Parts: sequence; C-alpha cells; structure tokens
Amino acid sequence: MSNRTLTEPGAPPDERTPISSSPRRIKKPSSELWLRNLTIGTVIAALVVLLFIPIGIAFVGSFHDWNPLNGSFDFTGIDNYVELFADATFWRASWNTLVFGILSIVGRVLLGLAIAYALFSKLSRWRTFFRTIFYLPTVMPLVAVAFLWKLMYNPQFGAINTVFGLDINWLFDPRYSLLAIVIMTIWKDFGFAVILFLAGLYAIPEDVLEAASVDGANAWRTFWHIVLPLLRPMLFFVIITSMIGYLQAFVQVLVMTNGGPGTSTQLISFMIYDQAFVKYDFGYASAIAFVLLIATAALTAASWRMNQSALDTPRRGRRVLRRTEGKLS
Amino acid sequence: MIRVGRRARAVSVIAAASALAVSLAACGSGGGGVEDTQADKGLPIAGVNVTYDPNTLVNDGKPIELEWWAWSNIEQFQSIADAYSEIHPNVTIKVVNQPWEDYWTKLPLELQSGSGPAIFNVHNSQHDNLIAKMEPYDIDAADLEADYTGAAAHVIDGETYYIDLGLMSGSIFYNTEMWEAAGLTDADIPETWDEFREVAKTLTIRDGDELRQAGFSFNGAGQTLQMGMSYQLGQDLFAADGRTPQVDNEANLEVINRFLDIYADGSGDPDFGASATESFGQGQAAMIYAWGWFSSTMRNDYPGIEWSAFQTPVPTAGETPYAFDRYNGESTFGINANADAAEKEVAQDFLRYFLTDEKSMKDLALSFSVFPSYKPIADDPAFTEDPALAAFGDIERYIWPGPVPATFETSTATMWEEILYNGVAPADALATAQKTIEKDLDGIDFVAAENLYPFYTAD
Repeated sequence: MSNRTLTEPGAPPDERTPISSSPRRIKKPSSELWLRNLTIGTVIAALVVLLFIPIGIAFVGSFHDWNPLNGSFDFTGIDNYVELFADATFWRASWNTLVFGILSIVGRVLLGLAIAYALFSKLSRWRTFFRTIFYLPTVMPLVAVAFLWKLMYNPQFGAINTVFGLDINWLFDPRYSLLAIVIMTIWKDFGFAVILFLAGLYAIPEDVLEAASVDGANAWRTFWHIVLPLLRPMLFFVIITSMIGYLQAFVQVLVMTNGGPGTSTQLISFMIYDQAFVKYDFGYASAIAFVLLIATAALTAASWRMNQSALDTPRRGRRVLRRTEGKLS
Repeated sequence: MIRVGRRARAVSVIAAASALAVSLAACGSGGGGVEDTQADKGLPIAGVNVTYDPNTLVNDGKPIELEWWAWSNIEQFQSIADAYSEIHPNVTIKVVNQPWEDYWTKLPLELQSGSGPAIFNVHNSQHDNLIAKMEPYDIDAADLEADYTGAAAHVIDGETYYIDLGLMSGSIFYNTEMWEAAGLTDADIPETWDEFREVAKTLTIRDGDELRQAGFSFNGAGQTLQMGMSYQLGQDLFAADGRTPQVDNEANLEVINRFLDIYADGSGDPDFGASATESFGQGQAAMIYAWGWFSSTMRNDYPGIEWSAFQTPVPTAGETPYAFDRYNGESTFGINANADAAEKEVAQDFLRYFLTDEKSMKDLALSFSVFPSYKPIADDPAFTEDPALAAFGDIERYIWPGPVPATFETSTATMWEEILYNGVAPADALATAQKTIEKDLDGIDFVAAENLYPFYTAD
C-alpha cells in the first residue's frame, strides 16, 4: 500500500482511493445569491400581493352581498352562484362569449396563417414593408381602434356602408352587432398572429422543405403534410392565447355597443364590469368572475390535452405518401 | 470588471431614484397660490339667510390647492373658482373634467379608496354610492331651506350634504327652420300626443323609402321619456311604501305603444342615428324630447341650429294631468369627507361663497336650463327668455320621485333597446325591466319622495 496520499502535491491517485462521484459545488459569490433571492422574492411577493390575495378576497366576496361603497359585506352562502345560474342574461352572455371567441379565433388563425404563409413564400417581395403594415393594428390602442370602427359602422355616414353600398345599422341590429365586433377584433389582432406564424415558419428546417420539393410535393401537399404539422406548436400557442384573451374581451364591447342593443352583445367580462362598477354588486360580479376563471382553466386544460393527444397519436388512417417513379402519390 | 459592475450599479440606483423623484413630484397638494395677508377685503357680505363674509383669511392665508371634479360646464365652474381665488388669492381651485361616462366609475372608487378630489359635482341618482363619503355642509339646514327651494328634501338626520341648484325637466326641442319649411307656425304647437303625432308626420321627409328627416326621434332617449310620461297617466314610479318599484303596468305599456306608433307612422326610425340628441344637433331630426341640459349642448356644440322648445304634450286636451313630467334637481357639489382638515375648511368656505353668489347661480341655472332653486334670483326675467325653461309652464305640476337610483334609467334604456332592436314584445321587456330594477334595489336603502308632491295620490 502506498504511503502517499492525494494530499501530497504531485502524488498520483491511489487506485484504491475512491474518486468522489459527487459533482464539485462551485461556490457562488454571496452578491449573486443575494440578487437571486431578492429577484425571486420580489416576484413571489408580487404574485402573492397582486394575484393570490385579490383572488382570495374575490373568492370570499363571491359568497357575500358585497357593496364596498355602502360598506355592506353580508354572508349569503352560495346565493350569488344560485342566482347566477338562474340568470338568463348570464347564459346569453356565455353564449355570446362562446360565439365571439370561436369566430375571432378562427378568423385570426386563418387570416394570420394565410398572410404569414404568403409572406414566407419565395415569391413575396417587400416582406419587411408588409410585415410592418400588417402589424400596425396590433400596436394601436384597442380603445382608439374601437372608436374608429364605431364611426366606420355608423349607419348614416360610416365608411363601411358608404363604400360597400350597404344599409345596415351594424351596432344596433342584433343580427350583425356581435359580428361587427368580431370583425373589428380580427382586424386588430391578426397582425400579431402573422408575426408568430412567420416565426414558426422560419423555424422549419430548410432541408425538410427542399426534400419535399425534390420529391415532387406540390404547394398544397407541402403545406398540409409538412408545414402545418411542423407549425403545430405555434398554432397551438396562438389558439390558446387567443382563447384566454377573447374569453376576457371587454373594451371593444364597452366602447362600441355597451353590451347592447339590449343585452345582445354582452360578454361575460362586460357582465362582470356592469355588476361591479355600474351596480356595485361586487359579490355577484366575483361569482361571475370565478365561473369565468374555471371555464377558462377547463378550456385551456382541454386544449392542452387535445394537443398532447394529437402529438402522441400515430398517424392512423392517413394516406402514406409513396414514392412512385420518382414522384410522391 | 468589478469596477465596471459597481459603476453600473451606481448609475442604475441614481436613475431609479431620479425616476421615483420625478414621479412623486406630481403628487401632493402644494399650494399654487400666493400668500394672503389681508383679511379685510372691503367687500360686502353676500346672501340672505345663508350668508358669506369674504373679509377673512382662509387657511390662515397660506397657499392651498383643491381639485374640483365635474363632467360638464368645465369653463363655467373654473370661472366661478377663479372668481373666488380673486378674493382669496392663496386658494387655487382646479376644475378637472371627468367625462360623464367614466365619472360614476372613477369618483366612487376614488372616494372609497380614501382619496379623490376635495370637491366633486354630484348627481342625485348616485346618492347611495356617494353619501357615505360626503362631508355635511357646515350651514344651518333652516337657513338653507329658507334660501333654496326643495332643500328640506335633502336633509338627512339634520345634516345636508348637497341640495339642488336648480330644477330640471324635459320638453320637446324643435328645429325652427324645419318647422317653418313645413309650413307650421306657433299655432301648430301640439297640446296633445295625438296632435303631436300629426305634427311629426308633417315634419318627416322621405326620399322614396329612405328617411331624410325624422319628424320625431327618441333613439337612445327612450328611458328619459319612460320615467316621466307614466306620471301623465297617474302612475307613480313607486308603490305607497315608497320602496317597491312600479314599472311593469298598463300605464308604462301605454307610453311604450304611443311612441312605437309614432315610429310606425314613419315619423322616425330606430336605425336613423343612434342618438336622438345627436340627430337633432346634426339637423336630421325635427323634434326630440330632451332635458334642460341639452340647451347648453345646443349652444356649445351645435350653434348653427335654430331651435326652440315647447311643453311636453298631454294625453287629453284641456285636462291637467296628474303630473306633466318628473323633475330632478341639478345638484350642488359635494365635499369629500376624506379630504384633510385644511382642504375641508377651504371647501366649506368656498361652498358658502358658491351658494350666495347670485351671478354664479344665475349663470349656472341658465346654462343648465333649470329653474333656479336659489329664491333671491327665481324671478329674474332671464329665466323666462330661455325657451327650454319657458316650456315648463307651471313647475308646481312636476313631480320629484327622489334621488332615484340609476338602475331605473339603465334598465329602461335596456328595455327600449330590446323592444326597438331585438324584437322583444313590450310587455316582456317591461317585465324584465321590473325584475332587474327590483334586484338592483335589493340592499339599497332608498325611499321615494313622491309623497312630497302636493298632488300626490298613492296607487
């Protein structure tokens, strides 16, 4: 046995001395630890103060008859929720929110994807210019855009009726009022979808697209079988974020129709505002807010599961492209 | 490396501190005026029962600045504030415009949070949301009642928090140029609703099927008609207990059908402009129903339109109705109970100045087209020269239901939209409005003042 130890300078390691398997811990400077703890602590404190506590108070408030202006805060149990689920206005607002959400998401995705793909095409010119133009509505304040479109929808002098030769009272005809808000929303938001989809398209490996081209895939096949599947993560991101945003849509309704005519364009978020800040019934408004929270969480979770399921499921039932005489069929 | 890191940290700390200092510089109520050292201004004492002695030092002559929130007539209120500052140069009162649409969200929340302006204009429909945060007037209620019509109705447990500076109601505004062009004269001014319906047809102009000029429009204004016209049929807004709302009834249904008939005649159209007042101002509607505040809007925003006003028609010729219409008070300002002691003291002094300044009271009453509550100026001939005021006739036959909560107006506005645009049957829309109002009143301790009407009869 060697008398030399590892501590002796220059001493070779003893074969029988086990080499430590634990990683060497690099000691960080104390200032970095302090900064890390401060940052994380601040974020946690902000989340607690600005998110969890208000949500907690609102949740408790939803079980009370709560008017902060006259100081009432009387426990009523689940009365607010019972009243809510019996309220025809709530169900109407829920339906409006669903219709608004679906139409806006479909419009945003389709328009955003189409324009992004067009800009991605090698045939497109002045891409930077068009990217800027299409993104402009996104950076405009929603309130200003809503007022602008309200003027455009005016039945007597608005641009839409004038240019297209129509005679529609857009914001006061229940057949068109919600659709009018949807159109404005799509116009406002499609630009951001364009940018996101463009990023997704540019992330697709060039060689995959080249291989498809070499194999004879036409434009549609390339898009449907290669681009779209590879774009799925970005597509999912746009859909999920759109859904979360549109379930809470409020500003455009407030500015353009104030929930009218009657209650035909009331969305859930507008109903929360109306109950809280017009009628000062904070308890009822809190109950609506929690129902919306649960619905949003459920829809988001369901969407995640659908997306995961689609990613995990093999491509059953889909026609497998075969190479025949150098062409794909 | 370390030296650069320290320098960067120092720069960032200085930048953050500077940003904080700049942002905080906007806060605080430092006085913008100069010091006032002369208590005796040599000015007479104003007022009759409520008096104001300007020969004092306010806030011990030290500079102080107050904020005064208003939703309209900003320049007018600022000129009143400036006139006060001329007497007390150490006091600066800044009038801040908060538009009506946001006012009743912002103000209650500001007051509830313990901040907000020292002085704010009040509308009595928001009474329940404001009263807990208002400072009582430091003026004897008996003196207020002696000088101001209707002040007694605003006394709560011996305290007054606001009163009426004038009484407002509705009338029919008409475009005099359109009137003349249709061959109508003063003799054609309708007395009854049936006559009104015929006049509206005469004033209507169509180009084929397209409406070019509405004889009468009430788009966006159905709720103001609804709440007043049922009184003409003897229907109170509240039951005898003063708490139970009465909206779903035959009288209100009759009112709705009356105005639907006018539109059915072709004299107007729900799709012809979203707002009757805007249509009138734009020269597209010959007649509308509006309250006195609209006079000011016409003068300021639509000076090119020649207009006048006549009294709202009645159901039966030669018969005085139960009440021609309801009236409401245009309120004096409130004082923020959360303001600090110095601000409240100045606000109370300014209040006395405001309530005893005949010129201010007259100008405001004319501007809002209200009958002045301030008795010393009630007989001024200027008030009968304003067509919207002259249209009221006998103010004694107008009923005040009290500071009715806003739900009456919002629920009947929704009701009218459901009827005009969503095809809901009037009876169903009325029933829904009744339920909504009942729900919204639940938990609000409101008692109507209809029983104070000299000709009141309980249903």
